[in-house]
Amino acid sequence: MIELLGVEEKTYTLNLGPQHPSTHGVLRVLLEMDGEFITQAEPVIGYGHRGHEHMAENRNYAQFLPNMGRVDYLHALAYNHCYCMAVEKLLGLEVPERAEFIRVITNELNRLASHLLWFGAYLLDLGAFTPIMYCFDDREHVLDILDRITGSRLTYCYYRFGGVPTDIDDEFVAGCRAFCQRLRSRWADYDDLVTKNVIFINRTRNVGLITREQCVKYGVTGPNLRGSGIAYDIRRSEPYSAYPLFDFEIPTGTRGDIFDRYMVRLAEMEQSLRIIEQACDKLPEGPIMAEKVPKRIKPAVGEVYQAVESARGEFGMYIVSQGDVNPYRIKLRTPSFANLSLFPELAVDTLVADLVAILGSVDVVIPEIDR
Amino acid sequence: MLKDNLKKALGPMNLEKVAEGEYAKTGYHLEVTAQPDQMVGVAQAMLEAGCFLESFTAVDLVESFDLVYHFANFDELCRTAVHVPLGKKKGMYTITQVYPGADWYEREVFDLFGIHFFNHPNLKRLLLPEDADFHPLLKDFKADQGND
Repeated sequence: MIELLGVEEKTYTLNLGPQHPSTHGVLRVLLEMDGEFITQAEPVIGYGHRGHEHMAENRNYAQFLPNMGRVDYLHALAYNHCYCMAVEKLLGLEVPERAEFIRVITNELNRLASHLLWFGAYLLDLGAFTPIMYCFDDREHVLDILDRITGSRLTYCYYRFGGVPTDIDDEFVAGCRAFCQRLRSRWADYDDLVTKNVIFINRTRNVGLITREQCVKYGVTGPNLRGSGIAYDIRRSEPYSAYPLFDFEIPTGTRGDIFDRYMVRLAEMEQSLRIIEQACDKLPEGPIMAEKVPKRIKPAVGEVYQAVESARGEFGMYIVSQGDVNPYRIKLRTPSFANLSLFPELAVDTLVADLVAILGSVDVVIPEIDR
Repeated sequence: MLKDNLKKALGPMNLEKVAEGEYAKTGYHLEVTAQPDQMVGVAQAMLEAGCFLESFTAVDLVESFDLVYHFANFDELCRTAVHVPLGKKKGMYTITQVYPGADWYEREVFDLFGIHFFNHPNLKRLLLPEDADFHPLLKDFKADQGND
């Protein structure tokens, strides 16, 4: 048809971002378009590069701790946790059980805050304005609970090498229980508002499919991976901290589309509530800090790789120590980095209208990719 | 099980080192040292065993580089660390044909360390601006050296 009219078939370039509300940060995607279909997509990253890995080499171990709250600002405590565990491994420190319980509770609260924000922001991407009002209302309760104990609302720096600095009290535990009850009573509202919404289902079912092969080749982790039916969760696969003591499930999807990833995140929130409740029930008495934490952190020569499950997938830290007060090299293996590198494959041959739906469903946090 | 299979697969490759790791200390189940030209074969064996590339980075040891590949598996806990010693001013072979996900990791190492990857499909800076003329994770780089 096009040839008949004497017009050459041409593609054109469309620039998405770097400042675009749906990219949740400063991400730019260069799109090669054929009409409304995408023939090629190339994410351009690095706008938020702060050089955390370089900073690590110029600071001592304790000075680098606050940086860990600023890599992934939505699930900062997982990053705190990973760094503390890695250094504890290097030093051979034993963390008291009560401290591990407190870490698990606060970590899961933070995961809930992160998933709730994703839920609201993602539906905003799809054009639904109301859900974000509901989930920000719920998220505010988490932030209040965490604020009281950690002293900050977002960029937490709460864990220390060997334990946690401040103990939790009965009011904190009561607050957690009340919050669990509250959030649980909201699931029905969320389902009515979003999950059963036919517009939402039509926009997400069978869109943005991720296969197992793609996950292996790109190192995709987190809810994106579990949505494709692979029950890989570091909390279960490579147990750390107090997680082996709790009973929880790893929700998985079957098709690997956006809807499955959405369902996995919702189901995961319920599992986080279960973990928090069990931890509150079993909370042991005792110290919150290891006894012999050296004043000057100076690990022996060696290297360590520590992984944790963050809200977006596997966060790993590779630390090389040469027996100095500064780390010799720290590599941050961030989940969104690997997850976003799959994006060009997901975007090809989709409509530009689906692009934002797919990008949001991968749940990327840009500062964590750029580091 | 996976560990034994990997050992069997890597055994005939004549690698410098294939040894059990100290998991409690380092987080590795298997530690491997390979030469740069053996890496594509190692990656192929890893993919055939169903492992995914967990992370890839370099360490500047001043007189040489140490490239570190981490592999893990979705079904079984088995982390393999592959160290590849690389001389300064030498290039490395890409493994993007095996693991397309290595694309960004290699670009990052190129960006931050200046290590060239042969046959990489799109080797350009990833995190720093295109016109940057420094590699910040080299040990002789000082923060005030950059073009500000």
